[in-house]
Amino acid sequence: MNKNIGVYVCECGPNIPERIDVDKVVQEMSSMDEVKTVKKFNLMCSNDGKKFLKEEIEKQKLSHVVVAACSPKDHEKTFMSVCQESGLNPYLFQLVNIREQCAWMIPDKEEATSKAVKYIRAGIHRVLYHNPLKKKEIEINTDVLVIGGGLSGIEAALSLAGPKRKVHIIEKTDSLGGMAADLSQVLPHQGSKMDLIKKKVEQLESSEFVNINTFSQVKEVRGFLGNFEAVINTHSGNGGVEEKEIKIGAVIVATGFNLFDLKKNPIYGYGEADNVLNATEFEDMINSEKILLKSGKKPKSVALVHCAGRKEQGYCSKVCCLYNLKFAHYLRDHHPDIEVKELVIDWCLPHKQDQSYFEEAKDKGVDFIRMDELLKTKSTGDQIQIEFKTNDKSHSVSVDMAVVAPAMVPSEDTTKLADILNIPLDKSGFFKELHEMLDPVSTPMEGIYLTGCALGPKNIHESLTQSHATSGKIFSTLVPGRKIEPEVKVSEIKEDLCTGCQTCLSVCFYGAITTDSFKGVSVVNEAICRGCGNCVGSCPSGAIRSKHFTYPQLYQEVLDALR
Amino acid sequence: MNSKYKPNIIAFLCNWCSYTGADLAGTARMKIPSSIKTIRVMCSGRIDALFVLKAFLKGADGVMMMGCHPGDCHYQKGNYNTRRRYVLLDNLFKTLGLEKKRIGLWWVSASEANRYAKVTNEYTEEIKKLGPNPTSEEIFL
Repeated sequence: MNKNIGVYVCECGPNIPERIDVDKVVQEMSSMDEVKTVKKFNLMCSNDGKKFLKEEIEKQKLSHVVVAACSPKDHEKTFMSVCQESGLNPYLFQLVNIREQCAWMIPDKEEATSKAVKYIRAGIHRVLYHNPLKKKEIEINTDVLVIGGGLSGIEAALSLAGPKRKVHIIEKTDSLGGMAADLSQVLPHQGSKMDLIKKKVEQLESSEFVNINTFSQVKEVRGFLGNFEAVINTHSGNGGVEEKEIKIGAVIVATGFNLFDLKKNPIYGYGEADNVLNATEFEDMINSEKILLKSGKKPKSVALVHCAGRKEQGYCSKVCCLYNLKFAHYLRDHHPDIEVKELVIDWCLPHKQDQSYFEEAKDKGVDFIRMDELLKTKSTGDQIQIEFKTNDKSHSVSVDMAVVAPAMVPSEDTTKLADILNIPLDKSGFFKELHEMLDPVSTPMEGIYLTGCALGPKNIHESLTQSHATSGKIFSTLVPGRKIEPEVKVSEIKEDLCTGCQTCLSVCFYGAITTDSFKGVSVVNEAICRGCGNCVGSCPSGAIRSKHFTYPQLYQEVLDALR
Repeated sequence: MNSKYKPNIIAFLCNWCSYTGADLAGTARMKIPSSIKTIRVMCSGRIDALFVLKAFLKGADGVMMMGCHPGDCHYQKGNYNTRRRYVLLDNLFKTLGLEKKRIGLWWVSASEANRYAKVTNEYTEEIKKLGPNPTSEEIFL
């Protein structure tokens, strides 16, 4: 192939010439045999600059292009698309970073210039080894698998299901609704008994685009965005397990949470003293409209104990303060003869209606008691004595009944599911988002999304919002009739060199490499591969090539840096 | 040692953390020694032991490997592979009696421009003390 390399040095306004002698760089580069033309331009990324580059590529019939400008993070894509428009394969282009990592970090002009020359020379030698890479397109399946039939899962399924997108929702228990279905009221509007959930479940059940699987769990998920296959195990009534395979394009994990086991720490007195309840047991009492002690009598006083398990788990569960207030409101409204004492460590009332809800509870005569640390809960005769520390002094209250608010913890199958889906967990054992702020519902596995309390403690409002966010992600990536373009810079295995040692399989986090057992070699699934190159670095026989980051390409950079 | 001696250091940076951190150091106009020549790879796990050895044998006075902090890898666990590879190289250098300080591994995140500036400056000073890499003249490979 005829090699006509065009080198363009961008001045980036005053940014680059301030520290780098651009004319000297141009002169140095012109002396290289491989280079056909070297030019400087003021702002390559401007419309004029792009037009200039396009004209140059066409007029000079360039085979390779090197632009020395800013970081590839800034404008690599800009210039690649200019190449594409000009009929040059965008991978026959190299952007050399002489702004951030040269002009801006070396005050001495001479030093910066000589470093820039080295970088550009490396870019020129590297680009000679570039290969044209082609984008591929893959057909997609637009169906979605929702794991978990709680409120988050229901909401995601409802917003996604439609004529062109079937949703499979799987739930390990006998019915949809999850933890929220047991609640007495939904805060903060004091809505009636979970009409919300009932309506949503009915809507789901009547939808022809939703396939509900109760008593079911995921056994296996393999594949990639747009082309997943999942194996679902469904327990039938007679103890047998039915296995079926479904094809989907995306997976939503909405496995919710569990409650912290209060028996883990004796200070809560749960399971030992009578009339110490956890929050869900108290919800049941509210549902049955009977607030009674074990003896069948009505309690004269109830203590609402906050923050059980917060210290043990290491995080605040966000919702407990509010539902304790809900309990206090309920007791004051419906049982004004019961005295309510709320034992609070820290208030967490982050939403806009919360503060007034708290003030109202105060007005209704709830006794708020501040504690620094809970020490002990024990039964003394008919009563329960709660000892706590405030300002280094011990205090105690005696009540007839204590309701303890346990922290939200990851649901029990979280670790197993993380293994099946190959996605990470955070320190607390919840699923970990790709980025807390920049990508809060994605996982490192493209096509697998997270919502609700599977990610960590959350109220209903936040869970629903996240479910809509996951739906949005799926709507925008899995568009019916459209194809997806997988990563181009992937790994490639040379069959002749592969010894079948399978080292690459163990370093690939995406499961993109499999073994062709007939040939005894490893094979890369280009649709799954993300191009990290870990397999390349670990292959003992040098059989793997990382497209666009090949040995010769990087080696040229090393050589020129040392020249 | 000649005070004007300028070492030649190759730094392999992962695209997501360290390279971005280096860019940020530039944006913040931090002073980075011109002796550092960066080479971008997608993941620090791509840094083949051969790259490090080749750079070393070709006369690099120091070779830096930089990646995301453990647990923060863009590709989940690529930096753990890097760490193993570094241990391998470290042992190899020890076994062959080469100067161990000529290679090193650092974690630099995308926001740690300060750290990037610190480690590059410190390492350059360290290499300056060691002097030029004798290997390219002493080892025939």
